[in-house]
Amino acid sequence: MDNTLRNVALSLVGVLLIFFLIIWIGGTINPSLQLDETAFLRFVFVIIGLLIVFAVYWVTRENGIWEVGTREVVYMSIGAALYAIFSYLFNGTVFAVPSVSQVALRPAICIPMFFGYAFGPVVGFFTGAVGNMFGDALTGFGLSPQWSIGNGLVGFISGLVWLFGEDRKKSIDRVLIISGVLALLGTLVFFLNRSIPNMLFFDVDAGIFGDQQITLIAGITLLIGFALVLIVRLAFRGNIEIAAAVTWGMLGNLLGIGFAAISDIWINGFSLPVAIVGEYIPSAGPNLIFAAILVPLLVAAYAAVQRQSGR
Amino acid sequence: MLVTWRYRDREAFIQSFDPRAWIIFYSCFLFSTLMFWDLRYLAYFMVLALLSLYFSRIQFKEMYRALIFIGGFVTIFSLLTFLTGRGGMEVYTEEHIITTISAPFTIFGWQPTLTITVERIFFAISQFFRVFSISIMTIIIPYTLNPAHYGVTFRGLGLPDKFAYAMDLTMRFIPTFGRDFQLTLDAQRARGYEIENLRGGLIEQVRKMAPLIVPVTIHAIIGSEDIIDAMDLRAFGVGPRTWLIQLFYHKRDYALIILSVLMLIISISLSLFGFGKFFVPPTLIN
Repeated sequence: MDNTLRNVALSLVGVLLIFFLIIWIGGTINPSLQLDETAFLRFVFVIIGLLIVFAVYWVTRENGIWEVGTREVVYMSIGAALYAIFSYLFNGTVFAVPSVSQVALRPAICIPMFFGYAFGPVVGFFTGAVGNMFGDALTGFGLSPQWSIGNGLVGFISGLVWLFGEDRKKSIDRVLIISGVLALLGTLVFFLNRSIPNMLFFDVDAGIFGDQQITLIAGITLLIGFALVLIVRLAFRGNIEIAAAVTWGMLGNLLGIGFAAISDIWINGFSLPVAIVGEYIPSAGPNLIFAAILVPLLVAAYAAVQRQSGR
Repeated sequence: MLVTWRYRDREAFIQSFDPRAWIIFYSCFLFSTLMFWDLRYLAYFMVLALLSLYFSRIQFKEMYRALIFIGGFVTIFSLLTFLTGRGGMEVYTEEHIITTISAPFTIFGWQPTLTITVERIFFAISQFFRVFSISIMTIIIPYTLNPAHYGVTFRGLGLPDKFAYAMDLTMRFIPTFGRDFQLTLDAQRARGYEIENLRGGLIEQVRKMAPLIVPVTIHAIIGSEDIIDAMDLRAFGVGPRTWLIQLFYHKRDYALIILSVLMLIISISLSLFGFGKFFVPPTLIN
């Protein structure tokens, strides 16, 4: 294990060294140099995302959930392949995916949430990150590696429910409170910045070209999603599995997509309101609705499979 | 049953490289391309991608579907960018209007207006170059990389054994699940399911995607039991792993890796010093 830590540290030092070397060489050539590091920051955010995952692992490394056996390897690969296929098919190029008042429907996000919840954080992270990477590659869009890491974090955080073992019930309530606060904060930013365009919306059929101002319904999707999750949580009070999957999936989505959107503040030079209202809400909000509806269906179907096969 | 990518040994120039060296080259290419918005720099990467395509010796009839799909997608995307001016705001701040075309009619009080500016034209072309060169480099990988080498390639790139094997399986599963998805879609359509025509409100539409997603996912999980058993029976992950195939770097592989890393470092340095930003020929602006 010390080997892993040393390798991680060494590669980080290597990257930083190159970075400083370039700055130093540039400084000797032209002392009044203004560096433009926006493109380079993609690397930095990929590394930061991996570091977050590594830190969580390092703190809880005694826990059994980090063990990777045959099962996890296979689940990782089918999760990633499914996520890649679904995000490729539902990204609007193969099927015209419906969108309701500017809310583009990307149902694939339920895959990393479900795999993270059902098979643990390692499987979840691999499913999200590698699946998104391959999904982008299939479409020919390998342009935003930090979003792959963000998607990985969605699965990773959904899987952290495994850390709580017997205390799942207690963890659910805490997660609900944290997510509620996050959703409220996001929506608050939306109401303070109503005029910001929806950066992710593109509706050709309706003849809407260009950056539409974000609609009210798209703006409050975070709250709608949260309410739906809350309803699911209360409706399935007896079924702790579904309640836990939905709430942890929600937290994973809020934090993981949040990581990717916030990183765009530096990478694409967005301001905080643009990142939140233009990117975060239109992607994280609809995702929450999927979490609330599709994840319970998957969990229920999987439970039936488990009962049948006795595993 | 597994569906496979269309790999075969074509004795092509780019297949003579070690797959690890090629993947390193691919990643360096990807990240280098991401550093630039300048058409002149992107043209260089485009040429590199087209050369790779040429030297892959993939016949046109083998890959025309993929090419048409990705080419069409990239074209439509660039065209939309051009029509809307969307996305460009990140790289340019000032626009020089050539002409403005307004439609003579209105739709619900909205008059379609097309503003053509120099910046939008060049942004669309740059975007086309950028995405298309990355796509070409991506689609030749499954055609040229031997599926038997996937695992050992990722192992050789430094992933732990188990993750390398998971990457291997992922790449093998993608075409299979694509087929499964199509079968499920056909089966549901035979039962009257219409994905093209989802009705109802937001929540109702989301719920109607379940008949596609749930069966494919659950089928994959059930099917994985066989794979898990097969791997367990062969004592997967019990001891340190060895790989059936061994890869060796040759001189040309070292050369390729060094060139790739150089390309990446130069690209990063150039972009750090502010070169390769969005470019419009100055003569067109005045």
